[in-house]
Parts: sequence; structure tokens; C-alpha cells
Amino acid sequence: MRRIESLIDTNAADYKANYAAMSERLKEFHARQHAARFERPQRDIDRLERQNKLGVRERLKLLLDPGTPFLEFSTLAACREYDGTVPGAAVVTGIGIVQGREVAIHANDASVKGGAWYPHTVKKVVRLLDVALENRLPVVHICDSAGGFLPLQHGVFPDRYLGGRVFRNQVKLSQANIPQIAVVGGHCTAGGAYVPTLSDYNIIIEGTGAIFLGGPPLVKAATGEEVGVQELGGAVMHTSVSGTGDYRAATEQHAFSLAREIVSQWKRTPKTIIETASYEEPYYEPKELYGIIPKDRKTQFDMREVLARVVDGSRFHEYQPDYGTTMICGYAHIWGYKVGILANNGVLFNDSSLKAAHFIQLCNQNRTPLVFFQNITGYMVGREYEERGIAKDGAKMLMAQGGSVVPKFTVIANASYGAGNYGMCGRAWDARTLFMWPQAEIGVMGADQAANTMADVKIRQLQREGKELSEEEIAAIRDPVLEKFRRDVEAYTSTSELWDDGILDPADTRNALGMSISASLNAPIDDPHYGIFRL
Amino acid sequence: MQRIFQIDGEETECWLGHDGSRFVLNTPNGTVACQLDPTGLPGGYTLRAKGVVRELRLAVGPEATFVHMNGRTYEVGRVDPAERLAGSDGGTSDDRLVAPMPGVVVSVAVKPGDTVEEGQPLLVIESMKLETTLTAPRDGVVAEMPFAEGDSFGLKDILAQLAPEEK
Repeated sequence: MRRIESLIDTNAADYKANYAAMSERLKEFHARQHAARFERPQRDIDRLERQNKLGVRERLKLLLDPGTPFLEFSTLAACREYDGTVPGAAVVTGIGIVQGREVAIHANDASVKGGAWYPHTVKKVVRLLDVALENRLPVVHICDSAGGFLPLQHGVFPDRYLGGRVFRNQVKLSQANIPQIAVVGGHCTAGGAYVPTLSDYNIIIEGTGAIFLGGPPLVKAATGEEVGVQELGGAVMHTSVSGTGDYRAATEQHAFSLAREIVSQWKRTPKTIIETASYEEPYYEPKELYGIIPKDRKTQFDMREVLARVVDGSRFHEYQPDYGTTMICGYAHIWGYKVGILANNGVLFNDSSLKAAHFIQLCNQNRTPLVFFQNITGYMVGREYEERGIAKDGAKMLMAQGGSVVPKFTVIANASYGAGNYGMCGRAWDARTLFMWPQAEIGVMGADQAANTMADVKIRQLQREGKELSEEEIAAIRDPVLEKFRRDVEAYTSTSELWDDGILDPADTRNALGMSISASLNAPIDDPHYGIFRL
Repeated sequence: MQRIFQIDGEETECWLGHDGSRFVLNTPNGTVACQLDPTGLPGGYTLRAKGVVRELRLAVGPEATFVHMNGRTYEVGRVDPAERLAGSDGGTSDDRLVAPMPGVVVSVAVKPGDTVEEGQPLLVIESMKLETTLTAPRDGVVAEMPFAEGDSFGLKDILAQLAPEEK
């Protein structure tokens, strides 16, 4: 494979301006991420200390193999909800290494609202368990939750993908012979009691851990019985009387060393074998991405320059280099794993859609995972293109993409608008992981187009009623809509709503993809099969 | 895969294989069995081929490997066969910039009569929410810029024309 020849001039004024703008954005991003992970009101820190409990980050440290990476998902989940008072949606999820095995981790963060389940908490946990199911990853649950947040119970409890789905997914994991262990380091009340009880193994920490369907206050209200936490559902009772708990741990340290020992008893399933090459760092510096991503989101840039700073050795074998040139397709390696890359270099036309559909089939044929780099404003519109069957060719691309059996990974590198988001493996299309860059935008259309469309409808409606509007009045209608749309399409809104698995510093993209691909190979890859291609 | 090495400027085609016990170098003039063992010195190796034993030192760089042997240094570069065999790009660059899609001209950077270099921005167009900078396909003189800022254009309209190249 040949190295991509970069044409970037790192001394150019444009490059420097872009670099400065991205650095500024990243400063904000890293500060927000740090705050979501570590900054808590003093009273919450004091409470944990009083309860003699470790924080969730210390618990992860005790659990994970030292010096190994932890791919954390959706650190900024719920950052635009609940007035920002529920950082990370009160839960930490991710893929980490325990005793040399890749595991999915679900850990309540009791320093946030006592680890209560908010609607976004449930969404984040369900997503993590979906990741575990898709990639056949064992799960470690670290339970410490006050239970469902009652004022928002309708957003936590009843629907298909809410609370019940957490337990349903646990059942499906067990049914698929994927092991789970729960470390109970706080209360598991009501529904929460099913997390440790549906796990194959569980450990209860003496003094702090407890499992019950109804806590002491509820029992008193329901039956008048007065009973303490320890007698009702403490470590001693459950591990010696009820058999609900398997192991009693004297301390947090004891609990996590037991957990590690249990994980090391599990059978290791051999990973799926795909083509690999020896690991090579990119030839071009990944941080140069900061200067390549234009500060104005509308400005076009060559996605090959991005690939050159993500893939091994900056080497790329391009497929159909002279056809459908707004869609770049080709093979490369990431962390030594062979991947097929689809990257947008402009609008999707008929030829670029067909090229993508064909290339996706090639990758399925030789079991090559797919990586999508989105910078897509949509499929081309207009009479000429409709006559050529742009909708039909787009459908072929969707049929190939959605029908893929190989693992897929998506990076929303800049724009992600309209049906282009679908074709390029947006959230609904089962990417094993999907990450966004901080300046990226996602929406059915751009903020300006959406605001203009909505304002035009309103203006015409008023005109029909005989009202002539001045420039100021039109602006008064359009500007608030525009403001709202601009905020709605931002990466922070997406990540708050868990439409992605997190925002990435562009320079970290390579490692996030490497870990994702490695984890995905715990699941087998099926033989290729598709639906009907509209020819 | 065939390999092409450049040894002190001269190209040699060969392919290194392994017969299970030792390396075999396949060359256009036949095959040569060879063996390379580290001596323990930094970059030091003993080469055995055709009954000859030579001490050598290797320094591996990103673009070339340097072999020090018999008091001489040979520069051995790896040539990518697909790139080497693709030959020179025979296409002549076009005199015209043709619209890749319908859109609107955002700005025009040059006027007829201007001398431009290959890659120099000529105009910026917007279509489908994307601004694209169109650049000169070669060095030359601008003959025509048919559209002004704010003008709409259709698919395959000519957006810029360079004066024909003088032979």
C-alpha cells in the first residue's frame, strides 16, 4: 500500500487559523470532560466519605489492569439536560481490560445524585449492554444506585428501551453464554436488585452493599415491619441465608481483587480472525488534523488528508480512484487491523453511491470491517439527478450498508445531514461504535436551511392573512429559530442525547477505532447476505 | 508481490522468498539461497550467499536502507511496484473548469488576463451547503471567467477558461 502524499502546508495562514480555532474548541471540550468526570459539589464528596465508599473512578482503577486503555463512552451524556446537574448521566460506561480480557463496564457514579437512574442514565446503560451483546463482551456491573429518579419515572420505567431493557439485555447476554459479574458497592433497590441477581456472579461489600426489592422505609410503609438495612439485604444475610449473593467482601479492595479473580476463571473465546499487518504509527502527525479541519464548517476539505493522520503508516489502497470521486473508498490498516474505509469528499451523486454500494460488498466478501468518515451534506437534489435515479442509487447504498455482516464503525468528522447520515452508517444503522468530533454537526438539514424553511412558512402564512412584514419583523421570526437550530445541531446536543458514543479529540480517533475494532472481533462474522437491490 | 529495489540509483527486480529453512532471493537471473545472521554488534550481520561469507552493517531508514560492506556503502531504496509501473500520467490538463454540480458563485479570485499557477484558487462555489474552492488545473493565463459573484450556474457549465498553452 502506498503512503498518501499530504499536500498540507503547515505554515499556511489557513492551516494556522484552523489549528488555533480547533485548539480553542478542544480546550473547552477537555475542560468539560474533566468537569464531568471529577468535579462534584463538596457535599457529595463528603457524603461518599461518610458512607466509607470509594468514588467510581477509584473503583475502576481497582478493577482494570494497570497501564491498559479504557475506552469510555458518552462522558458528556446529559450535559444539556437537567440544568447540567447530572454529569455523565450519573453512570460510567466503557470497554476496559480485566485480567487480559476485554470487558464492558457499567458503573454507577454515586457522587451524582446518589447514582440515581435518570432517563439518560437508562439510555446509557442500555446502550452499553447493546455494545456487550453485539460484540459478545463479558460485563462487569458496579452497582451503587439510589434507584430510579422518581419525579421522572415515566422517562425511566415503562417504554421498550427504558429500565426493563437493562434487565432484558442481561437475560439475553446470559442466554448467549456471555458472562456477567456484579460488584455491589451500595444499595440495589427495587428494579436495581435485578442487576446483581441476573449476573452470573456477584460480590457484596460488607457494610455498604445491600440488595432488596423494597428498602426499609418502603417495607415500613407497606407492612409496618421495622427492619434495618443489614438484616433486610446486607452482605452477611444474602451470602449466608438467602443465597442471593455469592461472595462477601470485607473492603472495596477485597471486592475488586475477588472480581478480577472471578473474571480470570472465564473461558476465553478465540477472536475472529481478519487480515492484519504489523502495527505502524501514521507517517503524518495526527495533531495536524487540527489545522486541516476548516474553522468554517461549510468549507470543503480533502478527506484523504484526514485518513493520512488516522491509518497505519498513512498507507491507503484506493478503490476506483477516478470514479464517483466525492466518495473515497479504499483499504487501510488501523492498529494492524485491515479495514475498508468510506469517506465523503463532497455530496453523494449517483456514481458515488454506486461505488460505495459496490465497495461495501467487497468488504463483506472478504470479511473486512468498515469504517465510515462522515462529512456529508446529503445526496444531490434536482431534476437531472432524480431522472438519473438518485433515490434508487441511494437505496442500493443503504441496502449494502444496512445489510453488511462485517462490524461497522462511524466517525462523524464534520457535517452529518439528512439521508447522507443514513447512507454513511449513522446511529440507526448499528455502527459498533460511533464518535463525533467537537465541531461536527448533525441534523436533518443545516441550521440556516432549517431556520429559513421554518421562517418562510411562517412569513407566507402571515402574508396570506394580509400582513406585510418589515425586515425587522422577518428577522424577529427567523433569528430565534436559527439560534435554536444552531444549538440543536451541535455535537454537544448529540452527545448529551446519546446519539453517539462520545465526542473525540480528533487526534484520539485512531486509538478509539483501534480499541473498537479489537473489541468487535470477540463476535463472529456471518456469511454475507443482502436484501433486494433496486436495479 | 514483485519488488523493485534501487541500489545506488540502478533498479533491480527481485523477490525474497523462504523455502522453509532459509531465505531465497528470486532474481531475473535465477535464484540465490542466502542467510543473514545477527552478529551482536549494532546493525551487524553475517551474510552467507553463493558460498561467500561477508560481514556487513545495516542502517534502516524510512526511505532507504544503507548497507556497509567491504568498506563501501550502498544505498538500497524500495520502489513501490504499483507506483513505478503505473508510468507517467499521460493525461494533459484541461484548459477549462467545468461545474461538477449546479450551484452559486460565492467569490471570484481572478480576472481574464491574470497569470495563475497550478493549484491557485480561481473561484469559490457553493452547492448543497458546501463551499468548494476550484483551483487552476495548470500554470497559465486566465482567458475567461464567465460568472460573477452571486451568479447561479448549471451542471457542466464552464466556470473558468485558461488561454491555450503555447507550444
